[in-house]
Amino acid sequence: MSTESKLDIPRPKTVGLYATLYGAAFLFLVPYLYMLSTSLKTEEFAFSQQPYWIPPEISFEWYQVVLEGAPMVQWFMNTFVIAATTTLLVIILDSMIAFSLTKLDWPGKRIVFTVIIASFMVPIYANMVPLYTIISEFGLINSPLAVILPFSAIPIGVFLFTQFFQDLPDSVIEAAKIDGFSTVQIYLRIVLPLMKPAIAALSLYTFVYTWNQFLWPLIVLQGESSFTLPVGIVTTQPTQVFQPGAEMAATLIAAAPLFIVFLILQEHLVNAVQMQGTTG
Amino acid sequence: MATKDTGAILSRLPGVDAVDSEARDGMLFAIPYLLVFGVFLLYPLLKGLYMSLFDWNAFNPSQSEFILAENYVRMVQDPTFWKAVRATVFFVLLTVPTLVGLGLALALGVNQDIKGKRFLRTVFFSPYVLTVSVVSLMWAELYAPEYGPLNYYLEFFMSNPPAWLNSFTFAMPAVALATIWWTVGFNFVILLAARQGVPERLYEAARIDGASTWRAFRDITLPQMRSAIMFVTTVQLIASFQVFGQVYIMTNGGPGDSTQTLVMYLFRVAFRQQEFGYAAAIGYFLFVVLVAVSLINYRFVGGSDT
Repeated sequence: MSTESKLDIPRPKTVGLYATLYGAAFLFLVPYLYMLSTSLKTEEFAFSQQPYWIPPEISFEWYQVVLEGAPMVQWFMNTFVIAATTTLLVIILDSMIAFSLTKLDWPGKRIVFTVIIASFMVPIYANMVPLYTIISEFGLINSPLAVILPFSAIPIGVFLFTQFFQDLPDSVIEAAKIDGFSTVQIYLRIVLPLMKPAIAALSLYTFVYTWNQFLWPLIVLQGESSFTLPVGIVTTQPTQVFQPGAEMAATLIAAAPLFIVFLILQEHLVNAVQMQGTTG
Repeated sequence: MATKDTGAILSRLPGVDAVDSEARDGMLFAIPYLLVFGVFLLYPLLKGLYMSLFDWNAFNPSQSEFILAENYVRMVQDPTFWKAVRATVFFVLLTVPTLVGLGLALALGVNQDIKGKRFLRTVFFSPYVLTVSVVSLMWAELYAPEYGPLNYYLEFFMSNPPAWLNSFTFAMPAVALATIWWTVGFNFVILLAARQGVPERLYEAARIDGASTWRAFRDITLPQMRSAIMFVTTVQLIASFQVFGQVYIMTNGGPGDSTQTLVMYLFRVAFRQQEFGYAAAIGYFLFVVLVAVSLINYRFVGGSDT
């Protein structure tokens, strides 16, 4: 391993390689460090010309200001409800139709599959004006459903699931049929359990994606109490006058939950992303 | 296909309706998805086309006036629209090549025999899990002209460092840099997986033949990773073309309209000026461009091993 892989970059000197990669890693960490240190600075040091990477005086006042001045907990709950419900719906709806498209035979399924795959390219942005009028006609403005429903039937989920279900041998399904399993039983007791890794990866990816959404929630969630964290922290200022410390504290609080999840479930999330590259 | 034929034969026998029940179950399993898909994806797509042909009244849709292609004519003649096209193309040019090139460089670097691979991967990938709001607010602080750290250090080298987000010249590059930090990790992990999938024996053979490192990179690494590189390029092209959050939060399209991208303009026309018909036309234009870009890219990929 060690000697072979050295061939793919022109003449890497080990020291240079370490310096470059760890130097880049250091630069990547700078924004995090600045966010953390600014959130702990008093007003005087936050506006100071000199960037105190370690504040001379550590203060947690901004965290208190933010938690009291903005409904952060409410936004967190809204974001969680939206991300969790969307993920659940994506997994149920997409796996059901993918199972049907790959393992069951019915008239018109080829056309249905083609239409779904073709709409891969329809971006929410292109659809946002007509979709807004539809959501508004349904009376869903400010409702979590306004964000959940349009993202519950995304074509990429169907595409990924069909890729996995194709690998499931037909003989397994045939054997179950002979054993007298109904279609529902085959789906619940055979297909879903066998697809656990794919489901886990897709769930995690959908959850992160939905949690982080910005444009669409910004459009359909208009009341402060219905905001998600990404919308809330840029729309509502917790202080009368702009305060870098308060803003960075809010930013850090908003980023923390998902970041912790990432640190714990990193392998799975990386797999979920890599899966797209290899099947796509 | 054998099972299908048996099924067809069986279904013709009296009393055996296996095929019919399979068709019924198949449709029942497809319907829940298709309902949501139809209402929230297909129908808006058609409604958007319809709306784009009207001077749409956002408050009282029945008062809308049919104007055929006038919205599209207006778009072609709208200087702000063309400014937005230019700003978007500028952003795409600033981000896509760097995102793919840097992603590839980091992937090849981390693939080497070095210590701390896992740490490096975590660091480079981590910004990808942040929301655009967090990224934009963080970077706006780094760029702050009066008290931000970037200009503090630049002042050691130059007397008058740029005002970054308030500068006509540097606002877009500043947004692009923040974007690169944010999303390069996506390309990095995909390209890392692709590089790990290249058979090592190809490199061994090249070494026996006395090929230089550069030759091995050009003749083995690049062609072997072609489809992954095309994939991340397509994804980044589409993502960069639709840039919104970063500019909305960091510059609000300014200074002037210098960072007002297409989606930003679309958002403004629709939800600040309430011109839904015109906004729908811009949306359709965006959609057609994206489809064209994707198709051109898939053509390229289509020629390879996939």
